[in-house]
Amino acid sequence: MDILIVIYLMYAFLALYFLFLFSIVYIQNKPRMLYYPKAKRIYSLDIVVPCYNEEESIEKTVKSLLSSDYRGLNRIYVVDDCSTDSSYGIIKKLAEKYEKVAALQTLRNMGKAASAKNYGAKFVKSELIGFTDADSFPERDAISKAIGFFDDEKVAGVTSLILAKNRSKTVERLQALEYKVIAFTRKLLGFLDAIYVSPGPLAIYRKKLFDKVGGFDEKNVTEDIEITWNLISHGYRVEMSMMSKVFTVVPEHLKHWYHQRIRWNIGGIQTIRKYRSLFLTKGSLGSFIIPFFVFSWLIGIVGLAIQAYTIGRRIITYYLSTIYSVGAQTAVLTLREINLSPSILYFYGIFLFILGFAFTVFVISFIKEKEYKREGILTLAGYTLFYLTVYPIILLASIYYYARGKFSW
Amino acid sequence: MFDNPKRAFLEAFFLALIVFVFGIMLGISFENNRLVEINDYYTLSEISLMDSLALNGMVDLDTFSCPDLIRNNIDFADRIYDEAVTLEKYEESGDLTDSLKLAHRKYDILRTILWINVMKTREKCAGNFSSVVYLYESEPEELEQKATQIVWSRILFDLKQEYGDRIILIPISVDSGVSSLSSITNRLNISGYPAVVINDKNVLYSLVSAEDIKKYLK
Repeated sequence: MDILIVIYLMYAFLALYFLFLFSIVYIQNKPRMLYYPKAKRIYSLDIVVPCYNEEESIEKTVKSLLSSDYRGLNRIYVVDDCSTDSSYGIIKKLAEKYEKVAALQTLRNMGKAASAKNYGAKFVKSELIGFTDADSFPERDAISKAIGFFDDEKVAGVTSLILAKNRSKTVERLQALEYKVIAFTRKLLGFLDAIYVSPGPLAIYRKKLFDKVGGFDEKNVTEDIEITWNLISHGYRVEMSMMSKVFTVVPEHLKHWYHQRIRWNIGGIQTIRKYRSLFLTKGSLGSFIIPFFVFSWLIGIVGLAIQAYTIGRRIITYYLSTIYSVGAQTAVLTLREINLSPSILYFYGIFLFILGFAFTVFVISFIKEKEYKREGILTLAGYTLFYLTVYPIILLASIYYYARGKFSW
Repeated sequence: MFDNPKRAFLEAFFLALIVFVFGIMLGISFENNRLVEINDYYTLSEISLMDSLALNGMVDLDTFSCPDLIRNNIDFADRIYDEAVTLEKYEESGDLTDSLKLAHRKYDILRTILWINVMKTREKCAGNFSSVVYLYESEPEELEQKATQIVWSRILFDLKQEYGDRIILIPISVDSGVSSLSSITNRLNISGYPAVVINDKNVLYSLVSAEDIKKYLK
């Protein structure tokens, strides 16, 4: 059997495996998907909002936090990282108006969210510390529905259900769908004790553990992945509250989307590198999260290489045969060359595609939103046929930028 | 947290394995069905070949007829040419088993016997027909060779369409390890592939137009 076919079958098996894994985890935990424990007591909570040039959204972010129904929320530290727009002015006005809001500004632009977050964390005295991006808007009950998980002493952090705020452009709608799939699978991974990221739009940590692991790694461009791995490596857990809904502004242009994904991937590479010694060791980080990251990336890159190889060969052969055909004055394509006896591998591919598609449709129906219309068939098709296939290319570009040291927040 | 994460991993593994193995078995049976179809064709072709060989053996008898022999060779060549196209398409899409490759080898032997038969026929009968034997490699590594072979197929197909019964077109894959074929190609001093042998005399290596080939035909 050809080596490419062996690799193809290996991919098919892995796709089936993860589809079954997620299905089994979902079926066995269906009643707990939307469950959130009611907190036995009120934990004091301060929230840090890092801000850089967010004049359009910062006020709305702070106001959405102020409207939270969580009674333990004491202070909101908005840290301006020396914005060049009017962000700091807005923050100061908010601080004057609302007692809970504190306006902070770094001494110089630190250029990274992690630095601004750590700066703000120095002022926090509460039991829990929360972080919200300056372009994200937690719902009124988002915090209160996350706090109960902290009754378990082993829980170091709680992440939330992050959804796209803006959905008018195609690229935004694709991301909106992607965010749902990511959130759904992250919750499922939570049942396997394998949540690998606590994203910036809303993440809450136990302050003493946050301090114990040294806060955010300022060298890492995805500090939210790094701190999650850091906490897990110390033997703690990160949970997800599907009922803690946060809306965030997603990139509206492909260029910004591409830049964001490059940053995510580079951060992932940095984090894998930092925790590589734990690869295949005991615990969910070493035995599942790191291998999951490494192998899914490896699979993506190898898949891309194989696709490029086979498509490249076909294009060159077609090009050469066209030139030769013209030279020999014969037809460039004949009907009898069209193969109407497809390979069984095509059927496998179609079968897996249908399963994947059904999974995405299921996720859409599971995460209900009153505020937005359900994604249409075009968005679904664009997501499964185009959006997911460009990922390996972005990954490859990220490795290139990482190797050249060209990356920033 | 999941009560027993290890169990979920194992359950998923076994479920995936069951579906995967079922899929592979289904695929193998699917490809085997195609092999059954090819084998049926092959049996019919074998019958035609036997008929042709029997006619060849009748040379010394009174009932011997050159037009019959030529007609028979042409019919047989046309039959296995059509079957070659089907076989090639099935072979292209046969990924799980190598059984079609074996069928291809059998056909190559059959085609070589046909070629030998045509050579003998030419010695005995001075009919108005030409033989065009297309020698190619079934799995060329070089893309240039692959493209050249694609174009040769097109040219020869055009030629066959135009000349019909006046040419016997025999495509033979040279990498099947058929020793009688190697013996013929050595005798004709064939130095590379693809090669087109016209009337067992003229060997073409570079692509030419159908018009240029016509110069060598009867």
